[in-house]
Amino acid sequence: MTEDDRVGALQRLDVLDSPTEGRFDRVIRLAQQLFDVPVVAVNMVDARAQHTIAAVGMECDSVPRADSFCAHTVQQSSTFVVPDASLDPRFAHTALVAGDPHVRFYAGHPLHAPGGQAIGSLCLAGSRPREFSALEQRLLGDLASWVEEELVRSDERLEAEQVQRRLVPRRPLGLEGYDVAGGGAPARSVSGDFYDWHELPDGFQVVLADVMGKGLTAAILAAGLRAVLRGASRYNPLPIALQRVAASMTADLDETGSFVTMFAARLDPETGALEWVDAGHGLAVIIDATASTARQLNSEDLPIGAIDDDTWQSHHEVLAPGETLAVVSDGILDLFDEPWDAVETGRELSGVCATAQDLVDEILARAAHHVVSDDVTALVVRRNL
Amino acid sequence: MSTIEVRTEGRQAVVTGPPRLNMTAAPQLREVLAQTVAHGSPQIVVDLGGTTFVDSSGLGALVGGLKTARQAGGDLRLAAVSDQVMTVLTLTSLHRVLRPFPTVEDASREW
Repeated sequence: MTEDDRVGALQRLDVLDSPTEGRFDRVIRLAQQLFDVPVVAVNMVDARAQHTIAAVGMECDSVPRADSFCAHTVQQSSTFVVPDASLDPRFAHTALVAGDPHVRFYAGHPLHAPGGQAIGSLCLAGSRPREFSALEQRLLGDLASWVEEELVRSDERLEAEQVQRRLVPRRPLGLEGYDVAGGGAPARSVSGDFYDWHELPDGFQVVLADVMGKGLTAAILAAGLRAVLRGASRYNPLPIALQRVAASMTADLDETGSFVTMFAARLDPETGALEWVDAGHGLAVIIDATASTARQLNSEDLPIGAIDDDTWQSHHEVLAPGETLAVVSDGILDLFDEPWDAVETGRELSGVCATAQDLVDEILARAAHHVVSDDVTALVVRRNL
Repeated sequence: MSTIEVRTEGRQAVVTGPPRLNMTAAPQLREVLAQTVAHGSPQIVVDLGGTTFVDSSGLGALVGGLKTARQAGGDLRLAAVSDQVMTVLTLTSLHRVLRPFPTVEDASREW
């Protein structure tokens, strides 16, 4: 298991940048009493530093790897014990041993990501030397597996995942001459991504939107947005439908400090004429029938909720026979250094995917390698040759 | 915890962004920006020279600050934006309203 693999697993868990909301407090306090130590911490170790995400007896802070006991623990298969750090040449001169708080005793048990990578440690520390028995090591190991479960699951995530699952269109679009598919990466951290499609009196509409933010709030806003957009789209031109959505969601978005990026398009199936708007989304592309060129559908329009009383422009394209419209969500914000890499990847994949669903699956599989904390959603409309 | 510093001078203020403007730091920045406007300095430059990472929550805080500043007759500008942050701003077209300047001095001119 490489160090990159380990650090990647830590990033995907998204624990460094999310509040822990007391999820580990019980197990930490229990460990403190059980082992009679002043300090108990849940530490994550990335490439450069150790980050304390929950603790009793110390601040939640970061220290360089060179000063970290837990950086050693993540290399172990079981509990790592230092009975007296002042006698241990690996630690005697490190900042936390030689200086405040003069750590003498340390015991840490590795914490693993779902893929088995050791990403951190549940650790104990004290200012007096001490031994740590086999029984105590087993107990610490048990508590560590409790922490591991909590790292990947929380009640809120479960609820939000359910909200998000309900956002998926229930029926295929049934659009003759076209192959339409959408999908989302299995929710690791729930976000406000969704895709949607529906029939209108004068055509078909496809949408991919992302409510900025994570968790239940974003998922609920996404559900509201989807409903409002469906209603407004029925009787309004596309730019006006966005204005209606913006007007009805301004208060919610202000309050939650969120905004929405969205790509929406209306398709006339007869001619392939595509009217589209892009509200700060920037991640839609049309790939030609031979997958040799990709044209990005760029606009200068802002996300919904970025400024008051904004408007959006319609743009026009034609989806020729064999061409593929692909839209992805901005898991990209946490993802590629260059979003254009994603466009190129999409173009190449389009050439080898026989169906829209294949392409969606491939995009999600690729994204799963890269994405740090946001989820990726993809929508594909391919016109048959 | 992240450290967000504010220097005010009359109607103008320079707010220093945290190293990682993420879900953890965003609420604090949002609060600092709101307070700065409330205390009479709605012309805000957010110095992102020390900020290497901005996620969607961070963008939300900046957009929130922009709205508050504009409602008070001011504006919110960015200075010393890193490549990662610029990519995100361009992708979302938000660079049109959260205008990036090379330095705090550049951003502080000609309000």
